[in-house]
Amino acid sequence: MNVNINISSDFINGAKANTPIGLSVFAYGAVLGMICAQKGVEIYQLTLMNVFIFAGTSQFIIVDMWNNISEIFTIVAAALLLNLRYFLIGASLNRLFKKSSMKDKFIYMHLVADENWAVTIERSKHENITPLFLFGGGICLFTIWSTGTYLGYIFGGFINDPSKYALDFAFIAIFTALCFNLYQDKRNLIPWLFAALIAYISEYFFGGNLYIVLGAIAGSLVGVVLEAKKYE
Amino acid sequence: MNNYELYALIIILFVSIGTYGLRLSGLLLSDKISNDGKIRIFLDYLPPTLLLSFVTPVVLREGLAGILAIFLIAICMHKTKNIFLSMIVGVVTVAISRNLF
Repeated sequence: MNVNINISSDFINGAKANTPIGLSVFAYGAVLGMICAQKGVEIYQLTLMNVFIFAGTSQFIIVDMWNNISEIFTIVAAALLLNLRYFLIGASLNRLFKKSSMKDKFIYMHLVADENWAVTIERSKHENITPLFLFGGGICLFTIWSTGTYLGYIFGGFINDPSKYALDFAFIAIFTALCFNLYQDKRNLIPWLFAALIAYISEYFFGGNLYIVLGAIAGSLVGVVLEAKKYE
Repeated sequence: MNNYELYALIIILFVSIGTYGLRLSGLLLSDKISNDGKIRIFLDYLPPTLLLSFVTPVVLREGLAGILAIFLIAICMHKTKNIFLSMIVGVVTVAISRNLF
């Protein structure tokens, strides 16, 4: 019985912990909904994307290229390239899913977004949580995101300039705050600086979104090189 | 259903499968190899380095206001450990700068 209470409270806590970041997810969703209405995307198509893709940036790319919808390969490749980081995000959730069944992994991984992943990783450093925390956050974000897209679609223009209120910066602010909370000691400094530097350089030269993956791999590899000695 | 609707459905189908595949395969693959010490270190470094890579170019593009916002977020997190408050501090800093300059 006790176990059940703990499990469901993890779900609720996950949903609660993702509510603050929901503000910017909502605004972001509303902008997507607005663009969808302008581009002639049907509500059912928007819904399919929200439910089955559930990855904001790649949904933006697809809708952005909606006028050239016959270029199937280009659009799919662009969207999946943007989502490459989910491979690394999945890999980094390995500790959280240590005791989970295969079924749980298959179910909970679908609703993993940048936001609930970041909130969960940060929380798992201080508390013992289960993947239900992640899933609760996913359901919370899914609800807020979908609501945002529909309201934007229907009432397009009610947030006529989200950048004026710096709502686009809310993600960045939260991700930064979460990142600071992951700091352990000065051994982290060099790998972290390296990640930031490589991300900045690759964004400058290549554009796109590949810089996220490149920066993370470079920084983590530096971490391995600096710390691997103790395992030899 | 016209051709364009069919194209859209095909795109949504492939991106859905691909995105879910990326999410799941990252987890399943890391399960197989995470006992190795070096891979463990690599996986443990992924979250902060992913977050940093995500934010750095955007912050620097924002210029001085972005850097100031990050600095204030760091102080706020250090003093209060409150993520929501830190977000407000960051957003307000950037909003003021965008509306003033």
